[in-house]
Amino acid sequence: MVRKDLLLEMRTRETVAAMFLFVVLAMVVFHYAFTAGGRGAPALYTGGMLWVVFVFGALLGLGRSFAHEKDEGCLDGLLLCPVDRVTIFLSKMTANLVFLGLIQVLAVPVFALFFAPGRIVAHLPALVLLIALGDVGISALGTLLATIAMHTRARDLILPIVFLPLVVPLLIAAATGTSGLLSGAPGGPSLLGRAAFLLVYDGVFLVLAYGTYDVAIGE
Amino acid sequence: MTVAARGSSARARPATATTVAVLAAAAAFLLADVLVGFLAAPTDASTLGFTQKIFYVHAPIAETALLAYAVAFVAALLFLRRDDPRYDRLGLAAVRLGLLFSVLVMVSGVIWGRAAWGVWWAWEPRLTTFLIACLLYAGYFVLRGAVDDESRRATFAALYAIVAFVDVPITFFATRLLPAGLHPVVLGPSGSGMAWRDLVAFLCGTAGMTLLFVGLLRIEMGIEALREGLRDLADRLEG
Repeated sequence: MVRKDLLLEMRTRETVAAMFLFVVLAMVVFHYAFTAGGRGAPALYTGGMLWVVFVFGALLGLGRSFAHEKDEGCLDGLLLCPVDRVTIFLSKMTANLVFLGLIQVLAVPVFALFFAPGRIVAHLPALVLLIALGDVGISALGTLLATIAMHTRARDLILPIVFLPLVVPLLIAAATGTSGLLSGAPGGPSLLGRAAFLLVYDGVFLVLAYGTYDVAIGE
Repeated sequence: MTVAARGSSARARPATATTVAVLAAAAAFLLADVLVGFLAAPTDASTLGFTQKIFYVHAPIAETALLAYAVAFVAALLFLRRDDPRYDRLGLAAVRLGLLFSVLVMVSGVIWGRAAWGVWWAWEPRLTTFLIACLLYAGYFVLRGAVDDESRRATFAALYAIVAFVDVPITFFATRLLPAGLHPVVLGPSGSGMAWRDLVAFLCGTAGMTLLFVGLLRIEMGIEALREGLRDLADRLEG
């Protein structure tokens, strides 16, 4: 399982590079979209921007994560392995989590440079907490849905359509939390509330994926 | 009712008589809802005034939509457990009706919102929740359409119905996290204690909508069963 993870990472330099490029491009476009009036991007919007970029970046990676398996016929081999299906889920999810974390490590400094230099440094621990919690949810839900989408026609089309509505609650909590953090508006408790919500969300979908993964991945 | 007429066209099914009876009861309750709501119940004393009447239609539809999703959820669980295509049909019919009722909630909600708040759309938790539920369950049909293998389609649809149902209450809480003051605070009339005639209208509406849902569900399932039978026949003809 760990070996598979490493193998995947080696193989997917292309994926991470594409994800990162997308993220930076999206930020540039956002900059021009939000500063059309001549003023800088308001701090209130930056949380939403950051998370939209993350979710779509993650979507790129998730779409690829099973494409290899299916196209190259590795899936059958994977299923024949004497491991629990849940192990497959966890390793896939970990791989997706690593990719997402990797592009974030690269993207957050870029984001800070573009939009909110001072604030990010000041609130880094809280921001990292929000991002980490959000990432677990995105990866858990994304891996489960990518597995289902893998078996469909036009899977690149299906994944966003089923993934985005489901990720909206997470996005709401994470984006409002981040915006609050960066604009300095809400105090500690509301940030804690959002973190707790993300934790519950992560938990629910981890349990759900755990319970349904053998059905999802197929015989 | 035209709906009842359509139901009887699913002929030779033993459920038809029951379905017609259910739909007739639904019609009676809904008629009572409208009559009591518009004629007997007092006009709302607050600024809502006469526009409050839409509540007797709006709220029962909303509850029925949620009921439909709950039925789809239970059907999905049963399908994964028993692997019986009947539960797949039930789930499909329930989600289809749930989506229909959700769209009706949105339409009646938007109309009421215009009258009550002065805007067509407000990012109010319940409105947002239903919007996201609509998007979620629309994805159900896209997913179904994209899977060719029948048993796999049913399995994925069931999985998705489970995940989506879990997401709806979560979305409700997530929208509550939005900073207060961005949207008007809405007090449902139910929160402020209804007069008994209001209550009668509301209960009639709920009973009527629920029965309408049950009746339509039976018709939908009948249609799906016929469709499946037709497919089997076609397969057998081809060889």
